[in-house]
Formats: sequence, C-alpha cells, structure tokens
Amino acid sequence: MRVLSVLLGSAMVLGVAGIASADDTRIHMIQCGDNTGGGVAIRDRLIAEWEAENAGYEVDIEYVPWGQCQEKSTTLASAGNPPALSYMGSRTLKQLAQNDLIVPIDMTDADKATYAPPVLGTVTANGQVWGAPTAFSTKALFWNKDLFAAAGLDPETPPKTWDEMYEFAKAIKDNTDADGFGLAAASFDNTMHQFLNYVYTNGGAVIDDAGEIVFNSENNVQALEFYGRMAEVSQPGPVAYDRAKLRPLFVESKIGMFISGPWERNLVNDVNWGVAPIPVGPMGQPGTLLITDSLAVFKNSGVEEQAVSLVKWLTGPDNQLEFEIAAGLTPLRDLPGVQALRDEDPTWTAFLDAIPTGGPEPFVTDYVGLQDTINEAVQGVVLGEMDAAEAVEMAAEQLEEFK
Amino acid sequence: MVTARKIDYFPYLLLVPATIVTLVIVAWPLVETVRLSFTNSTMSPIEEYIGFANYEKMFSRRFPEVIARTFIWMALSVSFKILVGIIGAVLLNAAVPGRTLFRILVMPPWIVPIAIGVFIWGWMYNGQFGMISGLMQRAELIDGPLEFLAFRNTAFMATIVTDVWIGTPLVTIYLLAAMQGISQDLHEAAWVDGASRLYRFRRITLPLIMPAVATMSLLSAIWTFNSFDIIWILTEGGPRNATTTMIIDTYKTAISRFKYGEGSARAVMIVLFLSVFAGFYFLMISRFARREVIE
Repeated sequence: MRVLSVLLGSAMVLGVAGIASADDTRIHMIQCGDNTGGGVAIRDRLIAEWEAENAGYEVDIEYVPWGQCQEKSTTLASAGNPPALSYMGSRTLKQLAQNDLIVPIDMTDADKATYAPPVLGTVTANGQVWGAPTAFSTKALFWNKDLFAAAGLDPETPPKTWDEMYEFAKAIKDNTDADGFGLAAASFDNTMHQFLNYVYTNGGAVIDDAGEIVFNSENNVQALEFYGRMAEVSQPGPVAYDRAKLRPLFVESKIGMFISGPWERNLVNDVNWGVAPIPVGPMGQPGTLLITDSLAVFKNSGVEEQAVSLVKWLTGPDNQLEFEIAAGLTPLRDLPGVQALRDEDPTWTAFLDAIPTGGPEPFVTDYVGLQDTINEAVQGVVLGEMDAAEAVEMAAEQLEEFK
Repeated sequence: MVTARKIDYFPYLLLVPATIVTLVIVAWPLVETVRLSFTNSTMSPIEEYIGFANYEKMFSRRFPEVIARTFIWMALSVSFKILVGIIGAVLLNAAVPGRTLFRILVMPPWIVPIAIGVFIWGWMYNGQFGMISGLMQRAELIDGPLEFLAFRNTAFMATIVTDVWIGTPLVTIYLLAAMQGISQDLHEAAWVDGASRLYRFRRITLPLIMPAVATMSLLSAIWTFNSFDIIWILTEGGPRNATTTMIIDTYKTAISRFKYGEGSARAVMIVLFLSVFAGFYFLMISRFARREVIE
C-alpha cells in the first residue's frame, strides 16, 4: 500500500511538473560540440538569467557533434522544422539568408561600433547582419627557437616578410635535420584558410564589398606563387597535411615554423616556441584571416523575436567577454578587459594586433564550392601541375558561380 | 458442375507488412530521389521543376571523368580482392597445422570497424611517422619520407589497397566454403592419374569454384562501387579530385553543398549503373540454378 502511495504521489508530482513545463514555449537551440569546456557554465548561467527575465519560455539546448551540427540545423530548416537558433560558421550565413532560412539580427550603430569593422564583415551581407558572432579566431606564426639557433638564425627574431620566411625556412632545411616550414594543402577547409592568410597579408581579396569576385589579381597570383614556393622548404608532401597534422611535426621538432591559431599555445609546450604576426607579402600589410562562428536565428520557428533577444543577450559585450575568457577564445571586441588579457599573457598580442587589418572568410552563396575551387588551385600549384597565374585565373572563373 | 475456385487471401495478407516496409524504406526514397533530380531543390523549401537541366549540367562538366575513374577504381579493387581471395582460400584449404588459427586470423580486417581500420591505414601512409614509408626508407627503396596520400597516383592506389584489405576476408571465406564443397574424390582420382598440384587446381578447383567467383565478383563490384567511407576518411576525394568517385561526388554535391536536385541526378545515375550489375547478378544466379537442376 505504501509503495502504491509513493508511486501515485510521484506520478502526480511528475504530472504537475509536466503541465508546468508544457505551458512554457520551447526555444530549441542547437549548439555544436558537447556540454563540456570552460564556457559552458557561463552560457548556462546566462541562459538561466534570460529565462528568468522572459517568463514562459524555456531554452532547450541540443548538443550535436561538430561534424554534423551545421548540416543538422540546415537540413531541419530546409525540411520546414527549423531550430529557433543555432551555432553556425559565419561563412554559411549568406547562403542561409539567400535561401530565406534565417532572419537578420537588428543591430544599432552603437552595437556595430563595438566590433572591429573586419569582424562585422564576417556576418554582413547586402547591408544586413545575419548572425551574432560568438566565437572568433585569428592566426599567427609559431616558430621553434631551438631549431632557429641550430640553423644559425637568431632564435628571438622571427621573419617579418615572406622573403625572410622563405630564407629562414631554407636555412633550417639546409642546416638541420628538420624541414623549414609546415605547409597545409590537403583537401580540407583549413587549406583554404591557410592560403587566405597569404592573400590578406599581400593586399588581396576573394570577393569585394559589392559582392563581385576579385580573386584574379596580381596580389593573389603572388600569394599562390609564394605558397607553391614554400613547398620547396616544407615537409615532403604538403597535400597530405591539413593544419591539425602540422602540430605533431612542430612538437617533434620536425618543422621550424607553422601558422595556426591561439589554441596551439597550450599544445606545443614540448618545444621552445615563440609566436609572431604572419610575415607580410611584397604588396601587403600585416593581416590575418578572421574566422567567426555565429548564433543564427531561423525563420518559421514561431519564436523568432525571443530567439533574437536571447542571441543579443548571450553575445552582448560583457557577457560575451566573460564567455570568451572562460572558453579561451580570441576576444571579439577590444574592451578594457582585453588589455588585462594581453598583460597577463603577452602571446595574445600577435593574435590581437592583426585584427583591424585582417580579412573575413569570403561571404558567398556556396561555401563548399568556394573551398573546393581554391583548394584545387592551391594543390595544383603545390604539386607543380599548374602555374599560379593559370590557377588563379581558372579559380576566379569558377568562383563567379558562387558570388 | 463447375464451381468458382475460392481465392485464398491469407498468403497475400502475410506479405502486406513486408510490402509496406519495402515501399516506405526503399520505393518511396527512390521515387523521391528521381523526382528531386528533375527539380532545382537546394536548402530553400521552394523548388521548381526544371526538366533534364540537372542531367545536362552534370554531363557538361567533368562527370564523365568521374564515371571513368569510378569504374577503374572498382575494376582494380575487385580484381585484387578476387585474386588475393583465391590465393588465400587455397592456402587456408591446404592441410597445414594450425589451419583453424589461420582461418580466424584472416577475419580481423573485416571485423574491425571500417573507420578505425581506415584511420590506421591513414597513419601508415604518413611519410613522417608511417610504417610503410619507414620500412621503404630502411630498405633504401626511397631516400626520404614518401607521403602516399599527397600525390594523385599514390593516393589513388592507397585507397584501393585499403579497400582490398577490408574486402578480401569475406571473399576468401566465401571461396574457401566453395572449395570445401568440391568432392575430395575428384582430387584423389586426378592425383592417382599423376596430375600435378597446379594441374588439379587449374582443371578441377578453378572450374568448380567459378560460379562462386562470378557471384562474389558481382557482389563485390556492387559494394565497391558504393564504397564511401574509405575514400572519404583517407582523402575526401583529393588530391585534385584524383580519388573522387561517383558516390563521393554525389555526397559532396547533395550533402556538403546542399544541392539536392543536382545530387539526386547523380544518385539516379548510380542507381542505373547498379541496376545493370544487379541484373547481371540475378541472371547469373538463375543460370547457375538452372544448370544445377539439369545436372
């Protein structure tokens, strides 16, 4: 009898709880990755605060592995069953907007002014902002000081220009057992990312503000030519390497230098390393590729207004900075708290200084098409099957389809 | 007096669940794929009928090259699997000590989850840390690290070798079973007549396992034609599309680039090719069955 009473009581409690939560309107949020990591507790607390301010709405976070999360959100939206909001690579936003799947995020001029213009460029198309940046990365050059010394170079002086970078890499290759540089050219998205670092440090671009393809330029021909030239002083077979595969080579002192993001600072401590801005090409200035991921709000979820409100709350200046520091991400905005970060860890400087002159991931209507086209041009030159001018011209023609 | 024969509906009733399942999970997606191939469907919920435009676009680009590459990849891979499978089956059929252990040891490539096996091969193909390049350097066959996945020809062959490694155990076991079905009397009679081991293999074993070889070749061709994970994990179709087969091209178009219409047109082409293989397979099965009845 007592057991029956407990069961009945439990059922009533669960029933009441069910009725209570059934009254709340669900806001379905798809988040890439899992519920571990430094920023998760901050985000959960911010969401709880938003829910307290917006009675009647409950945020239901669905964690989906990185490899599938964006495809899942897009497929759900295409099938007419969209999430309210989702974590998306900003590069996909123009394609989603063109297909009428997401709503713009209305930002005031004051809101926009909190971002460096190139950062805002990663989410802006046709004059509208299509997502709120929530994760950010820039790139810099890591060098192995011991290999520099062994090659007769000054271990405290990294290269500042492309020519210096080639000469230093050659010195390492000629005078040590290591290769001079780690070059990525695999059929993978970060091959294009690596190449764009050279494009942006040589004054080049892929697409201009008016949405026209401007890939076929002398700047880009030089960038591709130099990328191919670096293969001479890099590890054998760059086409087998994406950026992540370069780290083991650097940690094992098999390469003297490589270009990557701030996360490497915690992963390459087995060697005596330094980090500096990416060397500059003959036609350019210091720069880097700026990559942001955003929170995008999908159309037809029925809670678009609340989803936009939630996105703005999560990515507001103070909340976003707290999240970035906890998660170890590059700060999106140059707030007073960022200076403290620089003071505490000077290796941030190389990643932060290049932001104002950095360039965004190209904003096109077929991102994978763009990636395949540029990767094929890079591989053609690295494998010695095409010259740079021919590869750039061919790629530029194909890119017209994706603008 | 002639009475109307009563129709027994019960057998048809038993077929209903299977028919419904088949219609839902096979027929409907197939019909939907064919329908989509005539539309401009992308990630947008709105789509329009565009006739054969997707097919025209597909063949105006480098799709014929992809088809040719797929057939070469499949032909090489299946040939190696059958060749190695026959050799393996002959060895495992021989009366040697520890035969059972060898028969068990041949299975791991087939039992290990494909993704794990392919990742291991990916590291073995690595020039800096990989075993193959290391052994070749020690044997002084090459004078420095060789990245097998970095060049068109070596990447193409590397994907075939991995596919052969994964696919051969099943072929071996299937052919071994066929060999064990051959009467020992035939071999003994030939041996008494002075036939050599090679002669007995050529005139007795091979002809009698030929139906199994043909069946396995066709089945293997169908599986190999649709082999996706090996190529995707090792090269994602690169370098410079050197390992892009029809299934990789279809995935990139339909799933990675959200061009459902164009991707469906490619999928329809795959269905057509596989239907031809399947047609041959069923034709062969029925011929073998008929021959067995006559004999």
